[in-house]
Amino acid sequence: MRLTGIAALAAAGVFAASAVASAAPSPLPLLRPPGAGAPEHFAARCVRCGRCLEACPYQAIHAAPLNAGREASTPFVNARSQACRLCVEFPCAAACPTGALDVPAERRDAGMGVAVINEDTCLSFQGMRCEVCYRACPLIDEAITIDYRPREGDDIHAVFAPQVVPDGCPGCGLCEQRCPVSDPAPAIVVVPTGAQEETYVARRNGAA
Amino acid sequence: MELTRRTFVKSTAVALASAAAAGTMAGCSSLAGTGGDAATSGGDSAKTVGVCRFCGCGCGVIVEAKDGKVISVTGDPENGSSRGLNCVKGYYLAGALYGEDRLTTPLIRDDKSTKGTPDGLREATWDEALDLVAGKLRDTWKADKSRLAFWGSGQQPIVEGYCTAKFWKAGLLSNNIDPNARLCMASAVVGFMNVFQTDEPAGCYADIDETDVFVTWGANMAEAHPMLYSRLTARKLADEAVRHYDVTTMTTRTSASADKVLTFRPGSDIAIANAIANYLIVNDKYDHDFVADHVQFKQGTENIGNATDDGYDKSDIGQAVDNVEPITFEAFAARLAPYTLEYASELSGVPAEDIQELAEVFADKSRKVLSLWTMGVNQHNRGTWMNHCIYNIHLLTGRYARPGDGAFSLTGQPTACGTAREVGTFSHRLPADLVVKNPDHRRYTEAIWDLPNGYLDAIEKPGYHTVKMFRELSKGGIDFLWSAHNNWAVSMPNLTRFLGRGDLTGINDAFICVSEVYPTLSCQYADVVLPAAMWVEREGAFGNGERRTAVFEKAVDAPGEAKWDLWMLMEVAKRVLAGEQIGGEDAFDHLFGAWYDAEAGAFKGTDREVCSSIWEEYRTFSNPSLNPDAEAINAEAKLKMEAKQLAPYEEYIYNHGLTWPVREVDGKWLPTLWRFCDGPQEDGFDEYGVETYGEHDKAGGVSFYKSADKKPSAVFRPYEPPAEEPSDEYPFWFCTGRLLEHWHTGSMTRRVPELNRALPEALLDMNPADCERLGVTDGDRVRLTSRFGTCDITVSTAGRTRPPAGMVFAPFFAEETLINLVVQDTYCPLSKEPDFKKTCVSIEKI
Repeated sequence: MRLTGIAALAAAGVFAASAVASAAPSPLPLLRPPGAGAPEHFAARCVRCGRCLEACPYQAIHAAPLNAGREASTPFVNARSQACRLCVEFPCAAACPTGALDVPAERRDAGMGVAVINEDTCLSFQGMRCEVCYRACPLIDEAITIDYRPREGDDIHAVFAPQVVPDGCPGCGLCEQRCPVSDPAPAIVVVPTGAQEETYVARRNGAA
Repeated sequence: MELTRRTFVKSTAVALASAAAAGTMAGCSSLAGTGGDAATSGGDSAKTVGVCRFCGCGCGVIVEAKDGKVISVTGDPENGSSRGLNCVKGYYLAGALYGEDRLTTPLIRDDKSTKGTPDGLREATWDEALDLVAGKLRDTWKADKSRLAFWGSGQQPIVEGYCTAKFWKAGLLSNNIDPNARLCMASAVVGFMNVFQTDEPAGCYADIDETDVFVTWGANMAEAHPMLYSRLTARKLADEAVRHYDVTTMTTRTSASADKVLTFRPGSDIAIANAIANYLIVNDKYDHDFVADHVQFKQGTENIGNATDDGYDKSDIGQAVDNVEPITFEAFAARLAPYTLEYASELSGVPAEDIQELAEVFADKSRKVLSLWTMGVNQHNRGTWMNHCIYNIHLLTGRYARPGDGAFSLTGQPTACGTAREVGTFSHRLPADLVVKNPDHRRYTEAIWDLPNGYLDAIEKPGYHTVKMFRELSKGGIDFLWSAHNNWAVSMPNLTRFLGRGDLTGINDAFICVSEVYPTLSCQYADVVLPAAMWVEREGAFGNGERRTAVFEKAVDAPGEAKWDLWMLMEVAKRVLAGEQIGGEDAFDHLFGAWYDAEAGAFKGTDREVCSSIWEEYRTFSNPSLNPDAEAINAEAKLKMEAKQLAPYEEYIYNHGLTWPVREVDGKWLPTLWRFCDGPQEDGFDEYGVETYGEHDKAGGVSFYKSADKKPSAVFRPYEPPAEEPSDEYPFWFCTGRLLEHWHTGSMTRRVPELNRALPEALLDMNPADCERLGVTDGDRVRLTSRFGTCDITVSTAGRTRPPAGMVFAPFFAEETLINLVVQDTYCPLSKEPDFKKTCVSIEKI
């Protein structure tokens, strides 16, 4: 995800929003608990019983508000405030009575989404030694790796560029929770499974 | 030297280009020539030059302030140590000043029974607090001065450390002053003194740019020295032939760049180093010319046991640990002979062929090798010995003090070198490498401090080292303790004992004064808390790991009634010394009157003028020509004090830091990057040192002119086991350390929202096989128990650090976890530095 791409999309998004100012923007796609799978699969099975919320030892799962339209009362994770900690036994999915959440076989199979890095705001891409997302990742070196790069015009520093491995990232969001950057958004965000990456990231970065 | 010269020119070009891009940083320094008074109230922002508050890398920063508040901290392209970048801690450094609970008023505890709780401290005026502190100190001093103590820091700025040492040693005639650097650098220091008779690294950070092979020994640079590790990585990326060997007890983030990781059983690093030295000799792969020109051989006291019990220092063996005797090269070789590759492999668990491969790296003189080490070597029950063993390899192979070819002890704290070591805030030291037990050193110090001849004979005997100090405190042997720039209630080992869990008598009975910026755990044990100005709220200077002295200018005023530590010291000293005389003159005025007006209760000048005035006195120690009496003693006793010449204060500001010795050549002050290495001074070599004291044309182009007979010592040190080893009851090794996001005990970085978010909790890194065996998983809470104490912590198997089976690791930044309740206070018998890396623990799921 190049920054320029995001910025362009963000601008387009703002424009589109102002052009149709009277229309309510569609809600941001929600990050679902582990094992939710494709949005259609989950929507067809979730009965909004709240058992996954009660089972989560980290209080990471919340019910969408009543004004959230069809999503009202469905469970979601706000990664920035409390990410999924990928409990080995997945008590949330195990508590699901309808199979809306299938207990993942392994932590790497949680299938919540995939993290995406904003290289324009990420401190590591500027040459700072940060890589907080990489070290916070519960699947360090599997879901996020470091690409060690020379820094242009600087012979005494390297760039430690975090790289998300899409196939290895379960989308738990611990990287997003821990990222020190917050303006305009964390420099790494999890795009929920089923959401369109460019649009989602652009909206997280401030486009409507 | 070709490469060196090219790199030097290139780096200069980069610095100039960066300066141009950044605007007028030279003007920035001179603007700070405002005299250090915060000048940011006008609405426009002002930039000042500084150096990062945190680790020993000593990265330069530019501080931008507006409306009395620091609004940004960015890398200083003109600082020679870092050239323009910081880690995430430095990037968010401004936030460390603005935690919501900054201490802004003096606090007094009236009811000692509230100690150890967040309650019981009430606000007070400065006069009341200072009168109380000074009264207690004076009473203790008059009654029994063995019962007073000051615990300082490798984070105490240089001139403040200098004044504290002067007050304690000359004013109170007490050696009960020691810094927290005892917990991190003491083994390196004793190693330096034993081997080279001078406490300093010969090399510099530019060695990283020039070497062909990195060997990290017990060092997690990727986390603890972030920007130096970036430099190491840049070097590796620039040349694919560059190699890195990581010699460690566990896989860390630093292992990521290693071509080979040698994971050894804790404590067996000495066996590995000895096997390498033995291999080099047996196979005749050592540097004969270098050894002939530069090395003398020794052996020392062995079977020295462990300093776990309070009586160790005074035991027969405890008093003999420093003894050494000269031996021949043949005898040295014979002592090493048992250390075959196979024997070292058996002790360490490292395959013999891997040890041989590393030995061959040292043998190959076509390539340069740079050893780097930190706390795995220093915080070791044989820490001093392990320092010796690394130098032994480098001395045998002629790899020392040469660009890219050296052994470099990385420093942990921002001014552990600049203050604790160079100023000498230790219980056995005086400024500039001088020691209290040496009569010539005392005479020299008396000359500069203008004390009557023999005045300092009263402090001939060293005082309490850190562990001794806290052991005495916990058992009622201390009546007065003042701590500053540290957080002992989190950072000391064996807190179960020192925080008085069980028996509160010692802590409760003692009067404890804590100078602080935030209400740390140490404040909960304080009788008085003095609110301090922090970092750029006053002017100061740090000396980093490569001998670079750098000033941070005052950028903003301190909040509320918070005051400069130096002012607190002057006010306490003034009260304690009231009515005392030195040489027929008022004692306080005699010691501090040059920069402090006791009657007015104020400094004689701006921060800048005060720092400059104190610096000029301090630098007389290493520039004896500034004082005729000192100059005469220096000549007569052949102290060679000017061998570590320092520049006038303003030079450090103008140059954004300089590495000592700084030589005055034709009116210019030129730094030295490669100490003891012959070559042009303008290229960073030690031209004037070698010319004045050393010899040209010796092997390797180096001359160790500060060492006895100009020959550093290779000292044979045997493998002796750790103080305790895993047993049925305590089956795991417990290793502790620092992680990138937090500085030391987290008292500053955890108040930076971005850094607290980045790493909010201390986790216990475990091997998955151990977890399976114990039935614990990632996220479970467990109880760690050692012979010393217990703490509860959450398990992680994510793999940030990857301990082998049978070992666990946790960081020490979190006061709510307080892992030091569990850690042993056994120390290296030579350096008195505790072993934070090898406590044995049991782990139980809770």
